[in-house]
Amino acid sequence: MNGNPQDGGRPEMPEIRIPNFPNIPRAMIRRGAVVLLVLIAVLSSFYTIEPEENGLVLRFGQYVRSTDPGLHFKIPFGVESVMKVPVQRQLKAEFGFRTVRAGVRSQYSARSYADEANILTGDLNAAVVEWVVQYRIVDPFRFLFRVRNVEETFRDMSEAVMRSIVGDRTVNEVLTVGRAEIAHEVELGLQALCDQYETGINVDQVVLQDVNPPDPVKPSFNEVNEAQQEKATMINAAQSEYNKVIPKARGQALQTIQEAEGYALERINTAQGDSARFTALFTAYSKAPEVTRKRIYLETMNEILPKVERKIVVDGALDGVLPLLDLAGTMKGGEGR
Amino acid sequence: MKYLWIALAVIVLLALTGAFFVVQETEQCIITQFGRPVGDPIVTPGLKVKLPFVQKVHRFDKRFLEWDGDPNQLPTKDKRFIWVNTYARWRISDPLLFFQRLRDERGGHSRLDDILEGETRNAIAKYNVVEVVRSTNREPVQAEMMVEDRVTLEPIVEGRELIRQEVLAKAQERTTDLGIEILDVQFKRINYVEEVQRKVYERMIAERMRIADRFRSEGEGQAMRIRGEKDRELLKIQSEAYKRAQEIQGLADARATGIYAAAYDRSAASRSFYEFLRTMESYPAALDEKSTLVLTTKGDFYKYITDTDGGR
Repeated sequence: MNGNPQDGGRPEMPEIRIPNFPNIPRAMIRRGAVVLLVLIAVLSSFYTIEPEENGLVLRFGQYVRSTDPGLHFKIPFGVESVMKVPVQRQLKAEFGFRTVRAGVRSQYSARSYADEANILTGDLNAAVVEWVVQYRIVDPFRFLFRVRNVEETFRDMSEAVMRSIVGDRTVNEVLTVGRAEIAHEVELGLQALCDQYETGINVDQVVLQDVNPPDPVKPSFNEVNEAQQEKATMINAAQSEYNKVIPKARGQALQTIQEAEGYALERINTAQGDSARFTALFTAYSKAPEVTRKRIYLETMNEILPKVERKIVVDGALDGVLPLLDLAGTMKGGEGR
Repeated sequence: MKYLWIALAVIVLLALTGAFFVVQETEQCIITQFGRPVGDPIVTPGLKVKLPFVQKVHRFDKRFLEWDGDPNQLPTKDKRFIWVNTYARWRISDPLLFFQRLRDERGGHSRLDDILEGETRNAIAKYNVVEVVRSTNREPVQAEMMVEDRVTLEPIVEGRELIRQEVLAKAQERTTDLGIEILDVQFKRINYVEEVQRKVYERMIAERMRIADRFRSEGEGQAMRIRGEKDRELLKIQSEAYKRAQEIQGLADARATGIYAAAYDRSAASRSFYEFLRTMESYPAALDEKSTLVLTTKGDFYKYITDTDGGR
């Protein structure tokens, strides 16, 4: 375009009168239009893909290529359009509760999601299971074009898988030992279903949050815990009683035995001492039995006679003197003092 | 240059009259001419051409579509009412047939309601509750503390998975001539109706109480056992100590007796001396100031009182 209005090279162009802007030459308008067009073309030709995203370029609705993060070019004027999918971001679906506000101390809302969390167990009891599924979009094409309403579908799938796994376990397993296993099985089952539905989703992790008995039953579960504590307390009390008494009794037993041994030593030593003394005495005595015997006798008498206050000496030569003795009076006198 | 402008004008004209249309990745179309379908269904995306004015495009979704059943109260074979909420994934596999039979998605959903809810009802009614809940006859893992409280699960014959597959197979059979393919049917939620739930809760509470009572009685029992052990141990320790002490003392007594006998029982002289000595030793203890002693001058001590010769 040479911008000359008088140029006869383009006879099809009709003469256009623009009465409102008579001062602006038509060449300028045309130039302006071209510039505007080019500007729009340039602006709508470039697009950016954020670091966590993947871009899918569609030409007249048909997928032609995918692009990585960065600045990219596409055909403008609606011929090519771009859809962005956050492939690097880890996404999260919550079941039985919703995070109201995430943060250091996240707040959760659990009301009105009871239906989601209420699950029948294999022994036909009920448990309230809250869980989280973390997932990523690994195949953006499938994610966008294979399943309508993927997120809702994904939630339905999670619920179905969780119920079928929990339904195969007892309520005790669900509440206690089976938690890790359930999470693992759900992860496997859910991934299989994701692949079957061609969702393009990869399940990273299934995490069981709170797993509880239903509210009306909770107190009785606590009761069991309490009873367990009580049991331990009772056993501990008895054990401590045992520990208090038995070691002491052992000590006492040792004491008794030691005392007996002491007695034995004393007894034998005494006997040995006594016998040694006697033997020595006897050896000396044997040399002069008569006089020693007399000496011992007299010494003893000497010792005891002063202590005895009433002594009656009777002449052995006189018979019948005994009746003269006023035994009764002597006794009385002895008592009367 | 001239032809180019003509071509451009024609294209713009065609575009304005609706000769071009875009089929999205998620779509499939059929074209009707005065209501009569023409050509094959278009299942690939991109820019497509049709006759303007006379031909009309009917678009259908190509993706897997959702179907979420209403929660239904269904009776099982063992006459228990449960809430069953199913969901299904389906897609329009033959858009032409689908268009002819059901017209649009709304029609599809209403037909799916009939088929899936009906088949679910049939299947549930054929089985006991436990069959719908459990998938396998796996042996439950017993918690350590519950050893005496082994839960025996009612065995199942078919199980949730087979029932699900049965519903799926029957529903698939009934939808083949509708241009619909059902990919999957799942029982999303199964729950007791409220009255049953209350009873289940009552049963669970009773069961827990039973376990709690057992813990308490176990505690008491074990405490008693420990106390009994304590008493037994105590008596054992004490009596053993007594026995040992008596043995030690007895042996000592015996040895002492032996020692004494060896010393005293040497000869007639030693025996007599021992007797004399022992008697002499005992006198001071046997006699005190209250004793009255009657002695005769014939005795050894006082014999010199009457006689310097001692009576001889």
